[in-house]
Amino acid sequence: MNVIPCSIKTLKGLYDISGVEVGQHFYWQIGGLQIHAQVLITSWVVIAILLGSVIIAVRNPQTIPTDGQNFFEYVLEFIRDLSKTQIGEEYGPWVPFIGTMFLFIFVSNWSGALLPWKIIQLPHGELAAPTNDINTTVALALPTSAAYFYAGLTKKGLGYFGKYIQPTPILLPINILEDFTKPLSLSFRLFGNILADELVVVVLVSLVPSVVPIPVMLLGLFTSGIQALIFATLAAAYIGESMEGHH
Amino acid sequence: MASTVMASSSSSATCQFLCNGRRTGHPSTIPLIPKVVVMAAKSDSRRTATTNKTSFHRRLLDSLPQKAGAIVAAAAVAASPLPALAEQMEKASLFDFNLTLPAIAVEFLLLMVALDKLYFTPLGKFMDERDAAIRRKLGDVKDTSGEVKQLEEQAAAVMRAARAEISAALNKMKKETSAELEQKLAEGRKRVEAELAEALQNLEKQKEQTIKALDSQIAALSDEIVKKVLPTA
Repeated sequence: MNVIPCSIKTLKGLYDISGVEVGQHFYWQIGGLQIHAQVLITSWVVIAILLGSVIIAVRNPQTIPTDGQNFFEYVLEFIRDLSKTQIGEEYGPWVPFIGTMFLFIFVSNWSGALLPWKIIQLPHGELAAPTNDINTTVALALPTSAAYFYAGLTKKGLGYFGKYIQPTPILLPINILEDFTKPLSLSFRLFGNILADELVVVVLVSLVPSVVPIPVMLLGLFTSGIQALIFATLAAAYIGESMEGHH
Repeated sequence: MASTVMASSSSSATCQFLCNGRRTGHPSTIPLIPKVVVMAAKSDSRRTATTNKTSFHRRLLDSLPQKAGAIVAAAAVAASPLPALAEQMEKASLFDFNLTLPAIAVEFLLLMVALDKLYFTPLGKFMDERDAAIRRKLGDVKDTSGEVKQLEEQAAAVMRAARAEISAALNKMKKETSAELEQKLAEGRKRVEAELAEALQNLEKQKEQTIKALDSQIAALSDEIVKKVLPTA
């Protein structure tokens, strides 16, 4: 008889921790297909934040920039710099891609850490950073693959495929494998980091509700920014790699 | 009585199953067994409640079914989070790919186009134009410095020309004055020479006259000398 309350308690504890709700989704049905509504909703918020701030800050550019414009000019310079170092002199057309990648991931990650999503209750699952869903990260990684293929093919034509036997033809399988590992590593790195970060914060908050989680939250902000930077930098590096002439 | 036995046995069974389920960690077994157990327990409690009302030995039986009810409730509480947990674990889908993927990809591409139209292209163009304007202005400043240099050169040239003119005038004046001086000198020399020549001529004339006068006196003198040297010959 004594076993029951004990097991109830442990179960309650387990249930509470499982209140983290890993892999819980709020489903919408669209044309017989399922969609993760919480990811869509948060991504809309992220997009709204991005477009709204951009429109407000850059609507009427001044020669001597105002605060908001100054910030966005700084961001643009940063993105241009990043693209230029990774891609080289022909970085111009790739700035929107790299920049959108960076900004979307960055704002998504930080929204997960900073916006009080939990206030809004969903019937099932919960709102969180869009990037803690594997669908989002793969949806960002696959266009990256497409982008570097496009970059290589437009730059070199079919000669682009010569890179597969580049140092020696023996490396052909490894070179082909790389095309699969690149998007895989990109998406899983981002997904794992953001999910793990949010889990650590939530578990710590449930265990120790005050002060203790704050350093972890700050660390989460830091890693979120770093992950956005890494994703954008690697995307640019892959594009640059497929565009550069090999000898 | 039977119901209480059943309930207690079922609750212990629940516990066993719970423990088993947790120990083995086999998620598929968890949702099935407790559900059955709970359903059985619930029906038991209902049955006990109805039998309680109809029973003659209320007091005697009351205490037991209540206990049983409590146990059943506890079992239900114990079991109720478990199906939920199990259901969640069953449905916890970290890696289910569905329409979200293409939806986010399309959203990303649209966002890229929108940001390009609203942010990257216009602000980039604006910044480039401003850079160009600043560079041009800097270039203009450099140009005016060139102008200044040109003007300085011009001034230097004017100064040089003026200096050359002055020195030329000076030279000319020097030459003129020296020529005048020389002329005067030459004139003076000529006059002096002429006077000298005249004086020399005069002297020559005087000399000749003196010589002539001496010639005429020579005979008388020689006579006188001979007279004196030759004693009265």
